[in-house]
Amino acid sequence: METAQAPQNVPSASPPAAPPRVERDLLIRGAVITVLIAAVLIVLPQVLSLYYIDAMTQVAVYAVVALGLGVLVGRVGLVSLGQAAVLAIGAWVAARLLFGTGLPYELVLLASGVITMLLGTLVGLPALRMRGLYLALITLMLAGAITVVLSSINFPNGGTGFAGYNGSQVHIPPLRRPSIAQTDPAYFRYSVIVGVVMFLLVLVHVRTRPGRAWAAIRQSEPAALAAGINTTAYKLWAFALASFITGVAGGVLAGAVKYLYAFDFQTQDSITLLAVVLMGGAYSMWGAIVAALLMQLLPAILNNVGLSPDWLTIIFGIGVLQVLTTAPRGIVDQVPRDLGRLARRIGILGRRSPTREEAAR
Amino acid sequence: MHSLLLMALSLPSWQDEQPFLVTGLALGGVYALSGVGMIVLYRTTGVLNLSFGAVGAFGALIAWQLINHSGMNQWLAYLICVLFAGAVTLAYGMIFGPPLARRDPLVKTTATLGLTLILLGVMDLLWTSSGGASRSITLPTDNHGFLIGQVQVTTTDVIALAVGVVLTVVTTVFLRFTKLGTAMRAMANDREITATLGVPVRRVEAAAWFGCGILSGIAGILLADLVALDATTLTFLVISSLAAALIARLSSVVVTFIAAIVVGVVDAMVTPITSLTNYRDMTPFVLAAVALLILNRRRVLSLSRQGF
Amino acid sequence: MSISNVVPRARGGLAFVAIFALLALAGCGGSSNNTSSSAGGGSASSSSAAAGGTATSGGGSSSSVNISSCGSKPGVAATGSPINIGTIDTKQPGTDFSDGPNMINAYFQCVNANGGINGHPLKLFVQYDQTQPAQVAAAAKQLIQSDHVVAIDGVFDLLECTVDQAYWKQLGIYEMDAGIAPECWSTPNSAAVNMGPRYSSDGAVQYGLAQHPSKVVFVQSNVPGTGYIAAGPKALADASHVPITELTENVPITDANSVALNLVNSAGPNGWVVLNFTPPEALVILQAAQKLGLEDRVKGWGCSTPCNTDFLAKALGPKWDHKLFVNAELASPDDHNGPEFQLYKAILAKYGSSVAGGVGSFSQMGFVLAKFLVQALEKTKPPYTMATVNKAIVGIKDYTTEMECKPWTYGHIALHIPNNVDYTTTPSNGKMVTAQGCTAISNADPQIAQYRSAAKAAGINPGG
Repeated sequence: METAQAPQNVPSASPPAAPPRVERDLLIRGAVITVLIAAVLIVLPQVLSLYYIDAMTQVAVYAVVALGLGVLVGRVGLVSLGQAAVLAIGAWVAARLLFGTGLPYELVLLASGVITMLLGTLVGLPALRMRGLYLALITLMLAGAITVVLSSINFPNGGTGFAGYNGSQVHIPPLRRPSIAQTDPAYFRYSVIVGVVMFLLVLVHVRTRPGRAWAAIRQSEPAALAAGINTTAYKLWAFALASFITGVAGGVLAGAVKYLYAFDFQTQDSITLLAVVLMGGAYSMWGAIVAALLMQLLPAILNNVGLSPDWLTIIFGIGVLQVLTTAPRGIVDQVPRDLGRLARRIGILGRRSPTREEAAR
Repeated sequence: MHSLLLMALSLPSWQDEQPFLVTGLALGGVYALSGVGMIVLYRTTGVLNLSFGAVGAFGALIAWQLINHSGMNQWLAYLICVLFAGAVTLAYGMIFGPPLARRDPLVKTTATLGLTLILLGVMDLLWTSSGGASRSITLPTDNHGFLIGQVQVTTTDVIALAVGVVLTVVTTVFLRFTKLGTAMRAMANDREITATLGVPVRRVEAAAWFGCGILSGIAGILLADLVALDATTLTFLVISSLAAALIARLSSVVVTFIAAIVVGVVDAMVTPITSLTNYRDMTPFVLAAVALLILNRRRVLSLSRQGF
Repeated sequence: MSISNVVPRARGGLAFVAIFALLALAGCGGSSNNTSSSAGGGSASSSSAAAGGTATSGGGSSSSVNISSCGSKPGVAATGSPINIGTIDTKQPGTDFSDGPNMINAYFQCVNANGGINGHPLKLFVQYDQTQPAQVAAAAKQLIQSDHVVAIDGVFDLLECTVDQAYWKQLGIYEMDAGIAPECWSTPNSAAVNMGPRYSSDGAVQYGLAQHPSKVVFVQSNVPGTGYIAAGPKALADASHVPITELTENVPITDANSVALNLVNSAGPNGWVVLNFTPPEALVILQAAQKLGLEDRVKGWGCSTPCNTDFLAKALGPKWDHKLFVNAELASPDDHNGPEFQLYKAILAKYGSSVAGGVGSFSQMGFVLAKFLVQALEKTKPPYTMATVNKAIVGIKDYTTEMECKPWTYGHIALHIPNNVDYTTTPSNGKMVTAQGCTAISNADPQIAQYRSAAKAAGINPGG
């Protein structure tokens, strides 16, 4: 029944049979991104104070979380209001393994990704019968339930037993970090690299068969079914992928913060997460990065200039309304388009602006 | 065997449980207030108003401010609260209703989360909790009541439950038997067709939004008294209340009411069970999830595009 | 954002913002000038607290205390290079400790206007956090690396002691705080002016045990570290051979009626119920108990120190007078008015416009934390480096204050519980009044016993 506002004229996932020019464009884009990542890895730790390095580590973590939600919302059209709870599960598993085992950090990340994926898929399986609003609401309910469970069993703090929690601890030990990334700048680089791997993983999915299937499902599920696409399997696949990368992000978060508390994963955070993903742009992978900057860097800046974080809540609220009513593709689409328009208006840049091209993805 | 099981769970006796049945009814009334309030708007406009709690909380805080700092008569302050809630909800509905009217219910619902965040941020800015501040609203009806068994029931509890019942009955009758109600139901199904049939769509919608706002204001005052006058608590209390609405598949007002009461009673009666008591806040979520999974066993194909 | 570019539909958004702003202004605009004073440790009584700030200060300044006594050179502004002091504070909806650092700032302003520290003004750098460990860790680095603070004084935070202890230790910083996390009392590098949840709960349970109940029920919010807190009350009850039940409740509490009922049922008619919650949650439970007529169904009620605010006494009403006994780690401003209390109120009136809650336990603790630091630094000769300042802080010995029962000492010991003698208060006519004077927390709590023996060995007044 709804058709009007949502974008549909833009191919969101896979460019069909790429002509050579597009391939060259891809190459250039790849080169630009590589340079960008290198700059982030090398320059940022040099110029930023430790305060902002810590904030950027959070950005790296939340970019992956936002990417996971972006896959669900933007690619497949499944809205989850429970991603903060999924992140919490990933962090919990990682903390349990970090305290309980001597496994290398990378294996811990993998394990927390896989276990979160299994749990996420388990939850997703029955939830997939639901559509639209119901799915969003049931994820909200499940997130609420998970929050209650976590606040009762607590995050592991070096105790024994299944939960690994000892409430009587007088000195709470910090979580360990990988031996190659003990310092904050090193850990920042580590999180960025893990983040890049996760982005590549998603990129591969989006560019191949699952991506095409998701796009078809999003457009019209009956049509996808008619085209012989196993919609249930591909939806489940999306859930599994999103849960996996969110679980890995949880593992990175564990080492970043060193101390985990149940009250850091509130239902409200799931709502904020959806808000920033919508604001950033759920249809683009760049949107995930913008979302993470909004959610983690902006508060750090506001905090540093002494502004109340309540202003952010207000901005996010306005952002959600603005995105839903006027700019469904989010900032990554909106801003370049506006800039382009502005540029054209000034008349300096009459020709095709590269940012627009970027945004059209 | 039976006693062994009782021992294992350290189940309290029926004697001990009785008072919790009574407090559970009161808690159910709390959930019913918001749950039914949200369903009314959903059935008339197709919008699940998740800002229901935030609007009510905002109104209640204004009332608190007027009573405690401007020395206003409390009934007048409550009236202002209710009118404020009605005005904000109406304003939202009038501004964002039309541009979102053709969108998926999911989009409409998410948009109300935007309003929720704005209101929450403003509340936290205006009514800080620095210095350990906290606020409370005590209705005069708290001081009257009667005993059921050994539990004191206040008039406020009765009012909350009564408002829920009255709301349920009135809404059901209104939607089924009045002209405006029929128009609203039709509109929730298809706005365009309803408009072509000569129904003044915008006016009917305005009535629905304003009514929902009024309800959230009334709920705000009652919940501030029954639960706590705290912006975050009241704002997110709707999530628990939503469970009842979900059990009713967002359609039946009567089922929502009954589900809310059941959720409240189960929640309260788990309280004295030591091994489960910390998990009892899961009650609404678990009941809603189970109900949804059972009720939605049939696979439904969505014909519209998904997502935003 | 770029609203202006989205021509057709953006008007809606703009209109909405405008209307919303108007509504907000109309709704509470008349009172918005009040909001800065609408909260407070005295909070609900904030109107009286804020007014009290000005009114009593009038009384205060007319009496013997001169506000310039906060500094060493009355009337001479300090012009030297500033001494940077840092603090980290939790500030989020529901848990906002900003009154503490704001009071420290007020005290510093007073000192700076009256000679400073041997001519050097004090400058406070405040970092706020929303109980995220990453933020707390980042805040510490920001203070040291960007703000170049030489000492950490006045930390009011839920997590800070846990997260930053290792960092302080590495830098040789001895922080002074009003803490919550266990590490505030169990490490060499932290000393608190408050007693924190465990020892304050000890105090509340101890008072209850002295009334010979048949049972104690201790209930607290279900947050990390409950086991550590509950261990204290349990040790005390065990030592008195009184059975104790320990419960936790998820917060925010939505069904206070059931909670209250459950507490009374498990305590029994001769039992004693002790709450350890933030004021709003404690109030919700106590009000529910009152609504259900449960206040007389047990022998008595106790509460740890957060309940010690007039706002609670006022909100509860007369039914709880001499029925609820609250552990108080600070002397009540309602029945103390010595020179130091007068100075506190005078500084609050003149410099403390940002202290939203006015007179209250947070600003009292801020006052004590600032006073001790100033006192220690005035005895120290320049230069004021991280090394000299922290040496002065850890050297604080037997500093007295009217606000606490016993003299306060830092010192080089493995753990610090310098405030371990306290008051008990009870509501009376809408105020919290002293029910029992200075009483030492029992050695039955193994942590207290450990501190006292360590202090004795180090030649420090162990208290009690």
